[in-house]
Amino acid sequence: MTLNRRSLLSAAGALGLGAGAGAVALWPALGGAQPLTVDAVLNDPDAPVQGNPGGDVTLVEFFDYQCPFCKRMHPMLEDVVTEDGGVRLVMKDWPIFGPPSLRASQLALGAVALGAYPDVNRALMATEARLDAGQVDAAVASVVPVRRAMDAYRAARGTWDALLDRNDAQATALGFRGTPAFAIGTTLYAGALDRATLRAAISTARAET
Amino acid sequence: MTMPRFPRAALAALLMLSAGAAAAQPAPDPLPAEKAFALTVRDDASGLSLTWEIAEGYYLYRDHLRAEGPDGAPVAVETPPGTRKDDPTFGETEIYRDRLQARIAPAAGPVTLTWQGCLEDSICYPPQTRVIGAAAEDTGRAPDVAPARDRDIVLAADPGLLDGLSARGGAGLVVAGFLGFGLLLAFTPCVFPMVPIVAGMVTGRGAEVGARRGLALSGAYVIAMASAFALLGVVAAWSGRNLQAVLQSPPAIGVAAALFVLLALSMFGLFELQVPRALSSRLSRVQGRQGSLGGAALLGATSALIVGPCVTAPLAGALLYIAQTGDVMLGALALFALGLGQGLPLLAVGAFGPRILPRSGPWMEGARRVFGMVFLGFAIWLAGRVLPGTVTLALWSALLIGAGALLATGPRGSRAGRPGRALGAILLLAGALQGAGAAVGGDDPLRPLAPFAGDARRAPDEASAFTTVRSAPALEAVLAGESRPALVYVTAGWCTTCRAIERGPLADPAVQDALGRLAPVKVDVTEAGAASREVLDLLGAAGPPTMVFLDADRAEAPGSRIVGDTDSAAMLASIAEATR
Repeated sequence: MTLNRRSLLSAAGALGLGAGAGAVALWPALGGAQPLTVDAVLNDPDAPVQGNPGGDVTLVEFFDYQCPFCKRMHPMLEDVVTEDGGVRLVMKDWPIFGPPSLRASQLALGAVALGAYPDVNRALMATEARLDAGQVDAAVASVVPVRRAMDAYRAARGTWDALLDRNDAQATALGFRGTPAFAIGTTLYAGALDRATLRAAISTARAET
Repeated sequence: MTMPRFPRAALAALLMLSAGAAAAQPAPDPLPAEKAFALTVRDDASGLSLTWEIAEGYYLYRDHLRAEGPDGAPVAVETPPGTRKDDPTFGETEIYRDRLQARIAPAAGPVTLTWQGCLEDSICYPPQTRVIGAAAEDTGRAPDVAPARDRDIVLAADPGLLDGLSARGGAGLVVAGFLGFGLLLAFTPCVFPMVPIVAGMVTGRGAEVGARRGLALSGAYVIAMASAFALLGVVAAWSGRNLQAVLQSPPAIGVAAALFVLLALSMFGLFELQVPRALSSRLSRVQGRQGSLGGAALLGATSALIVGPCVTAPLAGALLYIAQTGDVMLGALALFALGLGQGLPLLAVGAFGPRILPRSGPWMEGARRVFGMVFLGFAIWLAGRVLPGTVTLALWSALLIGAGALLATGPRGSRAGRPGRALGAILLLAGALQGAGAAVGGDDPLRPLAPFAGDARRAPDEASAFTTVRSAPALEAVLAGESRPALVYVTAGWCTTCRAIERGPLADPAVQDALGRLAPVKVDVTEAGAASREVLDLLGAAGPPTMVFLDADRAEAPGSRIVGDTDSAAMLASIAEATR
């Protein structure tokens, strides 16, 4: 039974990766105003970009600041991105763990205008999994004053709320069941990845381009 | 059934691509949420029994499991203790594996159940929602990914005071914290009225009262007051409503006012107020002196519930916490500590009052009269919450003239003679003013002659042009018709703190100017009915006075809410938050 299940899953994985290798022109269309295209997912103009902005491979992660697996693998992810040098890292906020997660996302996005997004993002990802508003604020405050981040978020509220809505719509339309979930190139991965799988996924995406 | 963890590489699957494929073909893994956490609901006489069959490797979070009634009010879910998942990197959480059985008490309408879980080492699901019970049995609802953004009014996510303390340091910190809050509240107008009551109890007894006796009396008073607060929490948990609103009903006010009249008459020596003989003789054996510890306790309970009906931030926090979590023990304990804290300075009054005051003598007779007058004043002040303003003014007039006459015609030889007569004359004049005010239809004891001043003094109210609503649908309708940010001000006819706010910060021209940018809405919850409860629930408020500042998108500005007494600076800060 064990063997069966294991082999079944591996086969499914291989199938997923294999399917990803094929070119994809059409993504499931959204009912909303904004059509779901590869470009919309990989190159959302409002989503902050980390890693190498000119890189040849785009790695999109749908994540939540309270999601334990997102946070556990994050140092490894950053490590792989740095080591590769050719990855555009796009962290898409998908706050599914309630108000503290939403607040964390708002403050991090506010920090974009302050030039502090990568540090705020990293500080929040380094916190413990469960957060209340106070812990979120404390993590943000280690980089920029919470007040300024919140003011900056509010100043561009229309843009950021629309981005959060798009992230949510994309994740749902792509059939993601939760966080973390990845679009690496045009291949989708659900759930936390280990280093080897992540590296392989980046190579696969690079081979496609 | 021991299955190995899923190989991680295998989980790194998947899917993609063409339009139909993703929709029609479920991903091999992870499981769809409804398979990972399969819920069955059984309705039996004693409520709803909920069972989740949790797939191998998956788990549910205890603190993300909650239920709401049809009106959005929280419904208590009984859950067993979970397994502690204490990962040094991620903090401690309580989770369930394999199977979870929970219960909900019988509910009147459909209950919206929300739960959330993860697949170990892989993925965390968005909150899953289902409407269960009553008419809506098994009506599936699409997962609500961001429920907070669906509602018309989005409340700020500031955690409750009690929540925060409890998360940080457990029950001990909650109790200590609330004791501290109580101590702070002791120096607010909420508690001031209680000082003369305690002083009257201790000094106005006719006989000399020792420090020990004073301490015992004020102790009984304070313990009863704290217990009344705790009881308030328990009743709030059981009935899901704020008992204080009920206690501000005319009958309750009438009873309390009558109690103070009786006390006053007792002070005037018309009769001795005593507990029943059987009880008092037993008490006297213990205390060695006849008195009324029971009476003190009765006064304490009354004071907490009726004399000082201030909804303050800690009280509101504790009441909401109890209502939301159903954790009656901790909530009641916190409220008890709050009451105790409020009472500590009163204990000092009780214990040191007699020592500070001179030994018993003729002045005692005078003191009794003074406290008799003070108690009559309390009776009028209480009755004023339900009586027409003019009648209240007439009563004040009678009391002031009576007291003034008593003083002005006092014995000439006594030491207090001259100042006493002067004071008497002042009181007579004040009484006459109140009487004149009553005669011309004035209704504010602090401005008895307002009718003579014309409408000039009423301008502030008009300038801010509050729209008054009394129900949740009415509030939503008003907000829907407004594009400006809004101030939603919860008030009630019986809320004395509200009057202070209206005369103070709300009448401040600076605040008035700032308010011009907001749509001001007054929510009147004077009537303690279902409509009031519904609108309070909608706002997540425990009672008046509460100010909720909504921005143009109808989201509450974080950190802007004002509960209890306030000042202009706090209001301006909150207005700025909502309008930025």
